[in-house]
Amino acid sequence: MPANIAELIAALPAEADEQATVPDELPTLCVSPIPVGRFRRLSALGTLQAKIAAAYLFRWLRGWFQSADESKRTLADAHWRNALRMLDSMGYLRGAVMKIGQTLANFPDIAPREFVETLEKLHFDAPAMHWSLLRETVFAELGDEPRNLFAAFNERAFAAASLGQVHGAQLRTGEEVAVKIQYPGIARAIDADFRNLFLFMLPARLSADWENTKDQFDDLQRRLTQETDYELEATNLRKARALFREEDGIVVPQVYPQYSTSRVLTMERLEGHHLRDFMARKPSPEERNEVALKILRAWYRLMYAGRMLYVDFHPGNFLVLPDGRLGVLDFGFMIALEGAEWELFRKIDRPLTTGRQEDRIAVVKEWCDIRDDETDRLRLMDDFTAWEWMARYRGGEFDFGDEAEFRLGINLFAELIRRRYSRARPNTPAIARSQFGMRSIMYLLKAKVDVWSLAEEEVKATGWDRSDYAVK
Amino acid sequence: MRITADEKRATRRRIVEAAVDLFRSQGFETTTTRDIARAAGIAVGTLFNYFETKEALVASLAAEALSRAHAAWKRERERTSLNQRPGLDEDLFSLVAAELRQLRPLRKFLSPFIETILSPLVAARKSAADELRVAHLERVTELVGRHGVADVTPVALQMYWALYTGALAFWAVDRSPRQEDTLALLDESLQMFSAWLQGQTDGSKTERS
Repeated sequence: MPANIAELIAALPAEADEQATVPDELPTLCVSPIPVGRFRRLSALGTLQAKIAAAYLFRWLRGWFQSADESKRTLADAHWRNALRMLDSMGYLRGAVMKIGQTLANFPDIAPREFVETLEKLHFDAPAMHWSLLRETVFAELGDEPRNLFAAFNERAFAAASLGQVHGAQLRTGEEVAVKIQYPGIARAIDADFRNLFLFMLPARLSADWENTKDQFDDLQRRLTQETDYELEATNLRKARALFREEDGIVVPQVYPQYSTSRVLTMERLEGHHLRDFMARKPSPEERNEVALKILRAWYRLMYAGRMLYVDFHPGNFLVLPDGRLGVLDFGFMIALEGAEWELFRKIDRPLTTGRQEDRIAVVKEWCDIRDDETDRLRLMDDFTAWEWMARYRGGEFDFGDEAEFRLGINLFAELIRRRYSRARPNTPAIARSQFGMRSIMYLLKAKVDVWSLAEEEVKATGWDRSDYAVK
Repeated sequence: MRITADEKRATRRRIVEAAVDLFRSQGFETTTTRDIARAAGIAVGTLFNYFETKEALVASLAAEALSRAHAAWKRERERTSLNQRPGLDEDLFSLVAAELRQLRPLRKFLSPFIETILSPLVAARKSAADELRVAHLERVTELVGRHGVADVTPVALQMYWALYTGALAFWAVDRSPRQEDTLALLDESLQMFSAWLQGQTDGSKTERS
């Protein structure tokens, strides 16, 4: 074990000899509903990898209190300890936490490939449901037996989904569908867990960046909760589907609302190859670029015409259909770009278009609330932003398969984390995930795409007045 | 005056319907046998010819529901092909789930019934509820036997009964949407029970050999 990992593990809050004190503001913990499902018995931090992730988190959080006095630091430690204990009981996070830990263990010499794989695995685990439980869930949600609702219903799941599983079925009208079913009660359990977890962290208000970091956590929590609401996903799917025309060659599955609720989502089943299968068939560069172009077009279309940011980049969420069209799946985790958010995107369009550093710095300062005297923070944030936007700046074909280029971004991101430069708009972690996710998929495809031209085509949908900076 | 069997059945049905209406509208606790008799249009004395207590009335309703449930459960099992035989936990889950489906219309006034009659705290006595208990446990014994646990000890059965009535009690007051927490509770607890029971049997086999 490398020395720095051993150090990290040692930095983990020791199992206190005194009983950890439960803060007063935790009434909900005591009256939380009966533990749901088998999640609790899977300790989330039970493995070495998970411990590493927790140790990183702990050290990072504790770093905020370097300047605080001793008593406050001790108090904060007690709270982190409680938070970690709580995190440990959240078994559905197991996969995600382990994966982060595995990656951090290689930190900072992390390879792009490992980064890509980490992003892929960041999901909630749910235990498999046996057929009888599944049947009851469908009965409770849709009011009838699966066999009465559907012409055929495969009792075996064909895929695991975040917090549930997906079954193939056929509607009475003949359409092949995919039915996503959520483990009963888990959405509410997660919601309660996160509310309690954040209460543990609330008393830690000593750092300058804390309020802002808490906002980011809150934002993340809202998004996690969103992800468990299949009705919201159905709305996103419908909205997204309407954005694409036949000539785009991009298809979003149709939702069957009469067979969908907040816990059951019935969609058109698209048959095709997931990106990993597609790559395994050793496609030509032209084929790869074609797929990459469609993925990017979908991303920009959703962003500029749909005003929503696709976050969940996962090779399993993109299907190459036999006729060459691209299927985009899983709209559970989307960022709606509304109001102030949309206004900021409007402002970002200027530096994205001009490629000028002064334009970029103005936006970075506003986005991250950076003061004039914080030169180091500004420099690092600007470098990272430049990396994020590089593909678009350069014009012409951008080579997403360039490992050195990708590593540069990872290293900059790692540096930001090391320095705890967490201050930014609340949705920044989610946007970073979207950015890195997109880059990961492009890297996987070793794609070369003219991002500039594509983005220019799509930005037009906004109807923004860009006359004072856009290239004619 | 002689009363025909048909008339008896009709009166019984009137009583049951009146009782269910009253339980629903004013609750089990506040409904008296006098209220039920009045609503059914019969004398209180006549009511007692049919049901000794209102608990007996609910027990009879529950018995009917459970008998429908068991018939449905049996039909469902026959549909399942042999190569898809579920594990013991799933088998037990499907049995209890089938019961809950049929008990659902009674859910609102079932908790006092579970408390006063089905609770493991109530000493077994000859009653309609006692028959329910025996019928359910016989089914469980048979199911468990099919999964290779030949003799279920009285202790195991008592543990199962405590778990079963506990889950019923949880369900009766479950406020989660469509009682989804009960499904999760049943899934988890029956899995634990099955694993314990089957481990128990394996263990005793090893010890003896």
